[in-house]
Amino acid sequence: MKVRQIVPRDEEVDLADVLRWAGSGPGGLFRPFAPEVMQFCADVSRALFADKPAKAFPELQALAFWLRKTALERMRESFAALQTDQAWPVPRGVVFHVPPANVDTIFMYSWLMSVLAGNRNILRISQRASDQIQIVCRVFNERLAAADPALLGNTVMIQYGHDAEITAAISAIADVRVIWGGDATVNTLRAVPVPPHCKELVFPDRYSLAALRASRYLGLDDGRRRELAAHFFNDTYWFEQMACSSPRLVVWCGAREECASAAALFWEELAAEIARRGFSADLPASMEKFVFLCRSILDRPVTTARRFDNQLTVAELGTMERLNRDDCGGGFLFQYYAERLQDIAPHIARKDQTLTYFGFDPAERTELIRLLNGRGVDRIVPIGQALTFQRYWDGYDLLHEMIRYVYVE
Amino acid sequence: MNFNELLQVPQYSLVQGEKERILLEELNWCTRHHLEHCPEYRRLLDVLRPGYQDARTLAELPYLAVRLFKTHKLQSVPPDKVFKTLMSSGTTGQQVSQIVLDVETARRQTAALSRIMSDLLGPERLPMILLDSRGLIRDRTRFSARAAGVLGMMTFGRAHFYALDEDMNLDEKGLDEFLRRFGRRPFLMFGFTFMVWQYFLRRIADRGGRGADLSNGILVHSGGWKKLQEMAVSNAEFKRAFREQTGLARIYNFYGLVEQVGSVFLEGDDGYLYAPTFADVIVRDPVTWDEAPVGTPGILQVLSMLPLSYPGHSLLTEDMAVIHGIDDSSCGRRGKYFSVLGRIPKAELRGCSDVHASQVQA
Repeated sequence: MKVRQIVPRDEEVDLADVLRWAGSGPGGLFRPFAPEVMQFCADVSRALFADKPAKAFPELQALAFWLRKTALERMRESFAALQTDQAWPVPRGVVFHVPPANVDTIFMYSWLMSVLAGNRNILRISQRASDQIQIVCRVFNERLAAADPALLGNTVMIQYGHDAEITAAISAIADVRVIWGGDATVNTLRAVPVPPHCKELVFPDRYSLAALRASRYLGLDDGRRRELAAHFFNDTYWFEQMACSSPRLVVWCGAREECASAAALFWEELAAEIARRGFSADLPASMEKFVFLCRSILDRPVTTARRFDNQLTVAELGTMERLNRDDCGGGFLFQYYAERLQDIAPHIARKDQTLTYFGFDPAERTELIRLLNGRGVDRIVPIGQALTFQRYWDGYDLLHEMIRYVYVE
Repeated sequence: MNFNELLQVPQYSLVQGEKERILLEELNWCTRHHLEHCPEYRRLLDVLRPGYQDARTLAELPYLAVRLFKTHKLQSVPPDKVFKTLMSSGTTGQQVSQIVLDVETARRQTAALSRIMSDLLGPERLPMILLDSRGLIRDRTRFSARAAGVLGMMTFGRAHFYALDEDMNLDEKGLDEFLRRFGRRPFLMFGFTFMVWQYFLRRIADRGGRGADLSNGILVHSGGWKKLQEMAVSNAEFKRAFREQTGLARIYNFYGLVEQVGSVFLEGDDGYLYAPTFADVIVRDPVTWDEAPVGTPGILQVLSMLPLSYPGHSLLTEDMAVIHGIDDSSCGRRGKYFSVLGRIPKAELRGCSDVHASQVQA
C-alpha cells in the first residue's frame, strides 16, 4: 500500500516500511525530554518565528511559542516532578495522531507532548491540508535535514484519502491513538481496532462559555473595557467561532439591571473591536446565522435578539434550563443573566469544556469547581486565554497521558 | 385594491410606485393577519422586530428565512382548514419544506398562475408536452414541488403527453406522434430546467440532424441553473442549443419557490425576470442587509400577497440576484426586472467538529 509521506521527506512510501520502522520495538525510543528532541523542537520554534509565510498565521506563532526552549525547559521541570523513586515515567511507544476536520494545527500539541515523552509519532495529515500545516511540514523537513539522524525516525507525517485499510494498519501497531474531534470522527475511528494495550485519547465535540461579573465590568474604565473586548475577540473570532474552546454563551452575573447595562456596553465595545479588526462574516455564514436565529427563536427560550450587521448576533435566553448546545459559529452568541456564578452549575454538562471569566476571585472559581465536581468544565481561564493551549486540555494531563510508569521497589 | 381586483390588471402594467402602494397595504394586512393567527410568527416578530408597527415601505416589512420552513411547520389556519400541504424537493437526507394551504390560498395560487400564463400563452389551451414522467403525481394531497409545478401547469394545456417514462427515457415514438398531430400549430412544453436539457434535448440531439421539429413550440421551464452551470450551460447556451437542434425559439424560464405561492417570476423577451402584479422582489445588500440599489447584486427577498394560510408573504431566499432597472425595460413592461445569479453557497464551517457525520470515513 502506497501512501504519500510529507515528513520527513515529501515522497511516496510503502506503508509497510513506515509500519516496520514504527513497530521496530521499544528499543530506539528517546528517553523523555531527551536533549536531541528538545533541541529539535527549539530549532523548529526559531524557524517558525523567522518564517515569513508563517507570520500570517497566529496559530503558528502560538505553536512556535510553545516550542521555545524556555517553555520546554519549564515543562521538563514539571515532568521531573512526576518521577519518584518508585515511579519511573517511560515512553509508551508509537502514537498515531488523527487530525480534526478543519482546525488542523491543534494536533501539533498532542504531537509535542508525545515527542517530549519520547514516543515515536505517525501523524495523519488531511488531504486538504491547510496552508498552516503545509508550512509546519516544510519547516519540519528543513530542520530534520539538519538534525540528529536519530530524529528522522521520530516523526512521520503521511497523507491519504479515506482508506479504512490504511487506518486499520496503522492502528494495529499503535500504543496510543489520539483522535481529534468531533463526535462523528471519534465514533467512526473507535470502530477501527487497536491492540489491547493501546490507550486512546479522544477529543469529541465540546462547548464553551464565558462568565462576567456585571458590577466589575461596569467599574472598568474605557481602556480596560476595550482591552477586554480585544481579548474576547481573540477567544471568539479566531477560527470564526468554530473552535471548541470559543465561547457560545455569555453569562452575566449580578442584579438584573446591572447585567443589562453591562451587556449593552460590552456588545457595543465588541462590535467596535470587530470592526477595528476588519472581521465580517461572509454571506453564507451570515445567512446561516439568520436562519439559526429564526430557528432558535422558535425552539429556545429566546427573549431578545440583536444583530450587528454581519459581525455579531446576540440572542438572550430567559433560562439555562435544558440548554441546547447546537451552534452555528461565525459570530453568534447567546447570553444569559444569572444572579451568581454558582447558579450556572446545575446547567453545566459533560460537553462543556472552557469557561472563560472576568471579575471573579480565585475563591469563587475554586468554589465552582467543587460545586461542579466533574459535572463538566475542564478549563477555567481568564477571557483572552480560551484558545491558549495548555498541558491540561479537555480534562487530560496530556504529558502524563503520553507516558507509562514503571514501578520499582 | 384587493387580490381579486388586482387579478384583472394586465401583468407588468403597473408602474412601480403604484404597485408598491397597492402591495404595501396588502402586505401590511398579511403581516397583521399572520401575527394574529400564527403563534410562531408572532413569536418571531416579537424578537426580530419588537414593537413592530405597519411598514411604511416594502423594504421595512419583516421577512423570514425561507429555510425556516424546512424545520418548522408554520400555519395560520387550524388543522381542519388545511386543504393540502406542499413539499419542496430535496435530495436524500435533506429536510423538505412544508407549506400549508387552505382552500382560499390554493385558489389564489391557481388564479395567479392562470393570469401569468395566459398573459404569455393567450387564452386558448394549447396541446401540451410535459417533459416529465407520468408517474410523478401520485398522492394528490401531499406532493412535491415538482409535482405541484407539473399539476399547476397542466391546466394551461390539453392533450397532455408525458415525454419521459419512469426511468427518464424519452418516449420517442410518442413524441413523433404528438408532433405529427400538433406540431404544425403552436403547442406548449413544460419541464424542469435540468431535466429538459438532460433527458429531452440531449436525447433529441442524439438522433442527429434536426432530431425533432419544435419550431411551433413554446417552452416554459423552471428549477434552477445550478446543475447546468456546473456543466457550463448558460441560459444563452440553452436557448442556442434548442434553436439549433429543434428550431424552438420561444423559451421562457421562470424563477419560483414552493415556499411562496403565486411568486412566479417569468422571463420576458429580453431575458430578464419580471414580477407579476401581486408579487415583488427586493435585493438586499450582502453586508448591511439594507435594500441594495439597482445594479448591485445581493440577497433576493420575495414578496407576495397570496399566502393567507401560512406566513410566507415576505421571505428572504438563499439566492443572489440583481435588479437591472425599474419601469424602463426595453420590452415596454413596467416594474422591476431582474436576474437571479445563483444560490448563496453553503457556509464552510472551520472547526474541530465535523459538519456531516455522513462525510466521515476511516
